[in-house]
Amino acid sequence: MENIIQITKNDIVNEGKKLLDAGAKFVTAVCNDLDEKLEVTYFFSANRGVDLTCLRYTVGKDEEVPSLTGTTLSTLLIENEMKELFGLKVKDLAIDYGGHLMLAHDSPTTPMLKPKKAEAESKGEI
Amino acid sequence: MATRTTVPFGPQHPVLPEPVQLRITYEDEKVVEVVPVIGYGQRGIEKACELNEYNKNIYLCERVCGICSYQHSESVVLATEQLWPLDIPPRTKFLRTIWAEMARTHSHLLWLGLFADAFGYESMFLQFWRIREKVLDILEQTAGHRVIQSVNVVGGVRRDIDEAQKKTVIDTLNVVRRESDDLVNVLINDYTVKSRTVGVGVMTKAQAMALGCVGPTLRGSGVSEDARLTKYSAYGELNYEPIVETAGDCYARMKVRARELFQAIDLQMEALSKLPEGEIAIKVKGGPPANETVARTEAPRGELYYYAKGNGTRHLERMKIRTPTFANLPAVLILLPGCQLADVPVNIHSLDPCISCTER
Repeated sequence: MENIIQITKNDIVNEGKKLLDAGAKFVTAVCNDLDEKLEVTYFFSANRGVDLTCLRYTVGKDEEVPSLTGTTLSTLLIENEMKELFGLKVKDLAIDYGGHLMLAHDSPTTPMLKPKKAEAESKGEI
Repeated sequence: MATRTTVPFGPQHPVLPEPVQLRITYEDEKVVEVVPVIGYGQRGIEKACELNEYNKNIYLCERVCGICSYQHSESVVLATEQLWPLDIPPRTKFLRTIWAEMARTHSHLLWLGLFADAFGYESMFLQFWRIREKVLDILEQTAGHRVIQSVNVVGGVRRDIDEAQKKTVIDTLNVVRRESDDLVNVLINDYTVKSRTVGVGVMTKAQAMALGCVGPTLRGSGVSEDARLTKYSAYGELNYEPIVETAGDCYARMKVRARELFQAIDLQMEALSKLPEGEIAIKVKGGPPANETVARTEAPRGELYYYAKGNGTRHLERMKIRTPTFANLPAVLILLPGCQLADVPVNIHSLDPCISCTER
């Protein structure tokens, strides 16, 4: 993948707004479980959707991160989804589904998180 | 003072074939607020993609949706092939493009019928779906199945199109074009259809961009954007330019899909005429390397986005699927407020929502 710009979590709103103001469109965001941390990548497209730019930051699993929904409602569903499925602590969502956009009240919590590497090793799973 | 009432529109509603809910607050028959609610059928397919061996993800992902199933299988194989990356034979690229446009043809015919049904034009619904059967027949004859084609594999395709099949496809597409032309003319010019759709659910170009819309929903608001411009598969070798309408209302979104129906037929004809000779698949050994990539295809409802991350084993570290309806759903936040309650079904259908995709 090309055009990955590493940022900090505090830069996501400003950097995202810069891209949107320059005519880019928000595409989606992807969360990856890096064992101790979460890696979050926001994808934006420009030039009739042909060119992609990615803003990427890494945060601890207990850290709060800002929401882009104050700038664009297009991130509303995916930020709620990352919050539910990965436990990403997104604050100031324009509409906060309270952990139940996709998951029911009796669903497993944060189902997309992987078992911690150390625990998996001790159980002989890896 | 008017009373505000909040009603659940769905998850079970006659106009919605799939479960999604819109919590609609209205006042004097006019919608003032809406909150979309999904999650009635979430299937955890992204998680399952991590548990499968990579080549089994094709069978899983092409079941994300029954209507744009083909584009899901194309996207998952493109994403997996790009992790190496693999050099796919030219004939394979053309075959994939032909089937992708065939899938768009049947999907748009399906939608045109559903849209007509949304405002009570039931005989037109029947006629569009009658024509669609012909497209499903040629899909079955060439790819092997009507709905879930299962024709893509990592490294190529399972089936070829021979000369006899090529002639059948061309003859059928000519019939589909002629019969669709008659019906689309009625749909586009009918007074009642216009009165239900022109000026209804207007979304400006700036709003469509700000909400991250994709596909005909975006192009109906005057934005010339389409994943086929990235020239994946054989699109770089075909005469292709996105179809755009500028009014941004339900009528414009309908016209985009109606025109794309004929464009999809043209693209199939062109790809068939340029179909190169050669292999249809290459052998693939081992698992995809530790790498990450994005595959983007234009499904009938808009850009389909697959992010794949390999870890050097036969299992993927992560697969993310962003479906077109997931991107178009926030549009209801501006399409519905201000419209009459009776126009809600037409507005929703104008987005061509696919909840099966959204609940991947």
